[in-house]
Amino acid sequence: MSSGRFLDKSLKVDWFFLFLTLCLMVCGVLLVYSATNNEKVVFYETFWFRQIIYFVCGSAIAAGIVFLRLDWLKRMVVPMYVAALILLVVVLFFAGDVVKGAGRWIDLGIFKLQPSEFAKIAYLLTISYWLSRHPVSLFKLKSFVVPMLLFIVPFALVLKQPDLSTALVFIAVTYVGFFFAGLTLTDMFLLASPLLSVLFSHSQTTMFQVLWGLLICAVVFSLVRRRLPKILTVLFLVVNIFAGYASSMAWNMLQPHQQKRVNTFLDPMSDPLGDGYQVLQSLTAIGSGGLKGKGFGHGTQTNLAFLPEEHTDFIFSVLGEQFGFMGCAVILVLYFLFLWRATSTCKLFSDPFITLITMGASTIFLFHILVNIAMTIGLMPVTGLPLPFLSYGGSFALTCMVLVGAILCMRFQGHRQ
Amino acid sequence: MFNKSDNESVQNRNWNVLVYMTAVFVLFVILLFRLYSLQHTHYDENFQRSENNRLRRVELVAERGFIYDRNGEILVRNRPSYQIALQALNLPRKKADRDSIFNTLLHIVDKDGKRMFDSLSLDTAFQRTRWIKNRPIRILEDASPEQVSIIEEHSEKLPGVVTLIESRRAYPYGTLASHVLGYTSEISEEQLKLPEYENYSQGDRIGQKGLEQFYDQEFRGTNGVKVVEVNASGREISQVKGVDSKAPIPGLHLVSTIDLKLQKVAEEAIPDTARGALVAIDPRNGEILAMVSSPRLDPNIFSLKKRERNKGWAQVALDSLRPLTNRAISGTYPPASVFKLVTAGAGLEYGVLSEFKHYPKSCTGGFQYGARYQKCWGSHGNLNVVNAIRLSCDVFFYQAGLDIDMTRINEFGRRFGLGEKPLGVDIPGEKAGWLPDSVSFNQRNKRLGWRWARGLILNLSIGQGQIVTPLQQAVLVGSLATNKGVYRPHFMKELRDSEGNVVRKYEPEIVRSGKMKESTHRILMAAMDSVVNHPGGTGKRGRVPDIRVGAKTGSGEWKKGEKTHAWYAAVAPLDNPEIAVAVIMEAAGGGGAVSGPIARKVLMAYFGKEDKK
Repeated sequence: MSSGRFLDKSLKVDWFFLFLTLCLMVCGVLLVYSATNNEKVVFYETFWFRQIIYFVCGSAIAAGIVFLRLDWLKRMVVPMYVAALILLVVVLFFAGDVVKGAGRWIDLGIFKLQPSEFAKIAYLLTISYWLSRHPVSLFKLKSFVVPMLLFIVPFALVLKQPDLSTALVFIAVTYVGFFFAGLTLTDMFLLASPLLSVLFSHSQTTMFQVLWGLLICAVVFSLVRRRLPKILTVLFLVVNIFAGYASSMAWNMLQPHQQKRVNTFLDPMSDPLGDGYQVLQSLTAIGSGGLKGKGFGHGTQTNLAFLPEEHTDFIFSVLGEQFGFMGCAVILVLYFLFLWRATSTCKLFSDPFITLITMGASTIFLFHILVNIAMTIGLMPVTGLPLPFLSYGGSFALTCMVLVGAILCMRFQGHRQ
Repeated sequence: MFNKSDNESVQNRNWNVLVYMTAVFVLFVILLFRLYSLQHTHYDENFQRSENNRLRRVELVAERGFIYDRNGEILVRNRPSYQIALQALNLPRKKADRDSIFNTLLHIVDKDGKRMFDSLSLDTAFQRTRWIKNRPIRILEDASPEQVSIIEEHSEKLPGVVTLIESRRAYPYGTLASHVLGYTSEISEEQLKLPEYENYSQGDRIGQKGLEQFYDQEFRGTNGVKVVEVNASGREISQVKGVDSKAPIPGLHLVSTIDLKLQKVAEEAIPDTARGALVAIDPRNGEILAMVSSPRLDPNIFSLKKRERNKGWAQVALDSLRPLTNRAISGTYPPASVFKLVTAGAGLEYGVLSEFKHYPKSCTGGFQYGARYQKCWGSHGNLNVVNAIRLSCDVFFYQAGLDIDMTRINEFGRRFGLGEKPLGVDIPGEKAGWLPDSVSFNQRNKRLGWRWARGLILNLSIGQGQIVTPLQQAVLVGSLATNKGVYRPHFMKELRDSEGNVVRKYEPEIVRSGKMKESTHRILMAAMDSVVNHPGGTGKRGRVPDIRVGAKTGSGEWKKGEKTHAWYAAVAPLDNPEIAVAVIMEAAGGGGAVSGPIARKVLMAYFGKEDKK
């Protein structure tokens, strides 16, 4: 099989994509093994073995999904969405298991269901279906009403759990969804500008103030160029300026202990007792790996159990310590190729539903990858988002495989149409 | 495949996908830059840190605050205590190496040739290192300096065995005021589950009983933390820079109202074998100057090694004399004849009695009420109220009680601190008293089927049947003498931080009205004066030269055939009261004879008098 054949657009299955997925899964199992192999238990109780089981189950489910026809998928939208909401409500009010202070699970005896994972998939399906039939435009504000309603309900329910990081996944999916449902790059910039305003004006140094000034200029420029309805123009300007001033004003109104809490969230190193300790350990682990790493199974930091969540949220530090910069780079390249193949799927078809599903699924992957890695290397606050394919965890492994199945399905079913 | 209008949107879409992947590329490059900076530029320091091993977060336990007496004498301080412990992270991972450490420890002997560790507890500790990774596991508690130096000599062969310094409580005066001070011990499983111990964690030493418990939050201070690097055998090398460390904030010192000199005198006056209690209080503001409960216990036993601690604990817990109870606030007794002050006060206040009122029935040794003949302890003839108190004549008060009625008597008693509401002293365990009337009597004795009868007033008016604590009794005579309100009795004078600045001062607080008519006050004072200073007064053994002491004795009957509880409640000087003392000796005899001299010793010490020998 030549490489040309390997990437052939007429193939119903993207073999390269499958191969990348397999590579990532193997890496994941190896890392989970090296992070937890100091525990002497029977092999079928080890984390790595259970992870294999999850992947096998996930692959079976993904294989099943490939054969779902697109019109069936579209018919499943409403029931899936309603079921997801019901589950979210159930977990909110009748949370069975309280892990780490937040009830996010429904215990089904043999399996702990995490409704927010299911909701991610259901929401992706729903918003893609809606946006594929009703493109949005900033010139038609009504077009945003239904998508925002679809978004706000599961978002609020997940936020209430409270699970901020998963709630942010919903924002990312919606944001990218709008991009592929009619908004231009300028629109995307305008939508993101209030957030940037808050970020830039948070710290009151000259550099950030200059940056904020430039941002406002860019916003004005974009608004002039886009000739949006007057009301929107005013709104964007007001929101940006308000976000800039209000955030610093609100900041000064906070009590010192509240400021400290926010600071701890933004800069974990300021709290060596809690999150900072984990991040410090993670940085030490990754940094001590050097360019080539300490070698498989020779990670001193991880094997000495300094990292409390080493096999779940901090699996990337295990990688960094044992395989160094090379290993990290290889994994990042794998992720990049994976995302490239995933997004390429939509290029084969004109159906906006396929586009939205593939781009949304890619975004879920991308968001997890970015947030998790940035967290382990101290660029972002510590949140509980796992790393796709590498982190240990049944629910999330299944979610990943379902998304992989969805991407494969788009290509397979798209060709049948 | 695509039609024309599709074509434009498809091109647009493909362009968007390209933008998307470019953004991904940029973000990934940022991540790679950061990784490169960590793993190449800062490789050396990161590698050194991980090699030098293992950052450790060390909790710096804040020094517990001391307790002082009112003149600045230390009542409770801390002493260093060495703990030998296993640090799980630094133990070798190979089983053979662990076993060799185990054997080395097992064969270490101290000066006398005795083994320092026993194999069972050592084995348990090694088992626990498998589960508890992040904190040391103690294998020898409160080790002596010699034991520590022996371990240090062997430290080469013992990676993972560390010596820790803790601070433990020391009570330099031993049993002195032990019930007031309380003791400290490791927090128990049950306490950890309670909401009020939310921010405590396992292994914390917390105050139990007394001031140690009541002011535990203040004594504790705030623990600090530092991140240190330790070498492979668990010894500290240096503090990590760049991460904030927090210095511990030492706990507050408590300056108590206790007067060490007075407390000592009081402790000496009550033998440890006797059961009894003493409370000395300043009625002008509620400061408790001395409080004794006998038998005592030595709180130092709770700071000892486990084995010795358990021995000491078994001794006090199983003692039939119940040394753990603070009788001064948790002991409940009949107030006995001391209560006659209340009966008389109520009578005068409501105009039923007056200075010159005599009852028709004079005391001939008893009183006929219906079919019952209530005895008096002597025959006192016909008396007025002052003399009735002086001689503690029951017959007078039988008649007075019937005249006044219980509700009025109880109302008067509650005004001065008696009754069902505890006074709110700042150590835990205070019991409430009880002033029965027809309603509460029937209610409490429902199960027994006893009913209120008017004849009970006879007993109640001379103080048989009520329940009071020694603290209430002291507060009663004190506030009767001041006539300016009942102040909440307390031990905390002020809290000071480690630099000696006063952080909090106790504000005296009136908890009961404690006021009566001036005429009532005058007559009661005359009566209390006569008890001590007039011929034939029952409290003459409590006389103090040159000081006008007022008092009332009591001999509480509690069980047929046993000696009575000996009460003595005194206040001095009567014109301007500064100190009130209540003494009870359980089953010791007559109040004036047994407890009077004890109260006298305290008063003598307070006024700086000495007996000529």
